[in-house]
Amino acid sequence: MTIVVCGLGQPLRGDDAAGLEAVRLWQQRYPAQARHPAVRVHLLEAPELALLDALQGARAALLVDAAQAQAPAGSVHCLTAERLPSFTAGTTSAHGWSPAETIALARTLGRPLPPRLDILAIVAADFSPSPSLSLAVRDALPQAAEAIHRWVAQRLSEL
Amino acid sequence: MTQRTIQVDALARVEGEGALYLKVQDDQVLEVRLDIYEPPRFFEGFLRGRHYEEVPDITARICGICPVAYQMSSARALEKALGLQATPAVRQLRHLLYCAEWIESHVLHIYLLQAPDLTGHESALELARVAPDIVQRGLRMKRIGNHILTVLGGRSVHPVNPTVGGFYRWPDETAIRDLVPDLTWGLEAARETVRWAAELPYPHLEIDYEFVALHHPQEYGILEGVIRSSVAGDLSEEDFETRYLEYHVPHSNALHSRTVDGNHYMVGPLARFNLNFEQLHPAARQIAEEVGFVPPIHNPYKALLARAVETVHAYAVALEIAQTWHPQGPSKPEIHPRAGEGAAGTEAPRGLLYHRYRLDAQGLVQEARLVPPTAQNLARMEDDLRLLAPHILDLPLEEATLRCEHLVRAYDPCISCATHFLRLEVERT
Repeated sequence: MTIVVCGLGQPLRGDDAAGLEAVRLWQQRYPAQARHPAVRVHLLEAPELALLDALQGARAALLVDAAQAQAPAGSVHCLTAERLPSFTAGTTSAHGWSPAETIALARTLGRPLPPRLDILAIVAADFSPSPSLSLAVRDALPQAAEAIHRWVAQRLSEL
Repeated sequence: MTQRTIQVDALARVEGEGALYLKVQDDQVLEVRLDIYEPPRFFEGFLRGRHYEEVPDITARICGICPVAYQMSSARALEKALGLQATPAVRQLRHLLYCAEWIESHVLHIYLLQAPDLTGHESALELARVAPDIVQRGLRMKRIGNHILTVLGGRSVHPVNPTVGGFYRWPDETAIRDLVPDLTWGLEAARETVRWAAELPYPHLEIDYEFVALHHPQEYGILEGVIRSSVAGDLSEEDFETRYLEYHVPHSNALHSRTVDGNHYMVGPLARFNLNFEQLHPAARQIAEEVGFVPPIHNPYKALLARAVETVHAYAVALEIAQTWHPQGPSKPEIHPRAGEGAAGTEAPRGLLYHRYRLDAQGLVQEARLVPPTAQNLARMEDDLRLLAPHILDLPLEEATLRCEHLVRAYDPCISCATHFLRLEVERT
């Protein structure tokens, strides 16, 4: 059984890098968990259809990504994949292929997806071109790393 | 006198952010604007002062779809500035890497971005519901392109292995040879793609374009060549800026381009196909002739078919290289910085990508000039919309809007490269 953790984002689009940075922080704080033989980690800067390859064979997967939402910047939300369509608007993904569209395409084509697919969304403040996160999102990274740790621990306990 | 306004806040299935405004009075098109409001990213500015070796990795970040094009144009221009010539083994590997980028970019556009327009589906998701086998084929073809990028470049997006002079290290020869079965399947799938694409219902629109592309006498110009125009003939890469001029328009954060004679020209698959048909790989020429798709082609929507033929070319060339390549000598030469200037063009999936750099004696960039394909096509796209407008004036508003969007998408614009969705606004008075 494979558990997949995917950090998604663009490091040069400000808070869009929140998912990447949250996964990196989790890897630093919980190296044993991140290197567990049942855990596979991906850091994807422009995932589009390649996201399906990253999810291949996974029993459970967590996509960690920045989000635009009517919620305070830096707030962290764990959602099921069924909530993904609410994250399609205003995509800055390559040619409009957001993770939500990729997952929807896989479902339409009957391609296998992890039976459990969750999203850890970090609400962003600013997607302007920049190599830096906003203060609100930077301050939220420890909370996001803890949330990843709890999610992975729960999945490992189900093995 | 009546007034109508069409507005689309974000044109889907293009890369980047922009809007379209169309103003029509009776049968007269008064104004067409592609408003590119994506913020400019100032890459040319922050390349100044950087060491030449950093440039391919920085310019690769301009685009997630065509990073190889940015790496290859920058590497070649810098090699000219430094007085270097890539070895045959490096050139062959660059050709394979570039074919991989063409495959993944062309297949994405053919199957997921433009085909839904031609088949009357709102999106690729809808197309996938009615024709899952077709879309599955496209996904597998694209995946092969991405896999080659990973094998040669270290990863499928923003490869890290290419550098000025060659590659940081040779890829594993066995891994290259292992690509052969996938490329063999992909070549046949690409032929099937051309047969399928030839049957799609293309709208009728014929435009007398000036086509501009790289031309190489011995091969389909991708990595190098002269700058060929269907109107003005050939120019060396070094002379590009003497005829092809960039200018600013108030409504766009991307510069527009014109020739020194004031013509708005087209770069991209249709330009390459029309100018370089004889240099296509025999497998690509043969399938094009089989479906009756031969130059001259002046219908912008048929860029999809040109992409499909180019995909056959890319698979065929990639297959030959994967079967024969082996490393020879060092993967990159020892480089001694010197002051100099170099200009080079390569053919990105969307068209000619020109780079010029001036270096100081320490190898630091003093000046950088980058002219991306979508920026060169923007003025041409506005002209095409102007020509399309009389044909769609009597259509219901929604359909007229969609026809405009289809035309823009046929160019596969990468607004991100040019600066970064599209809003369409048509005003009729």
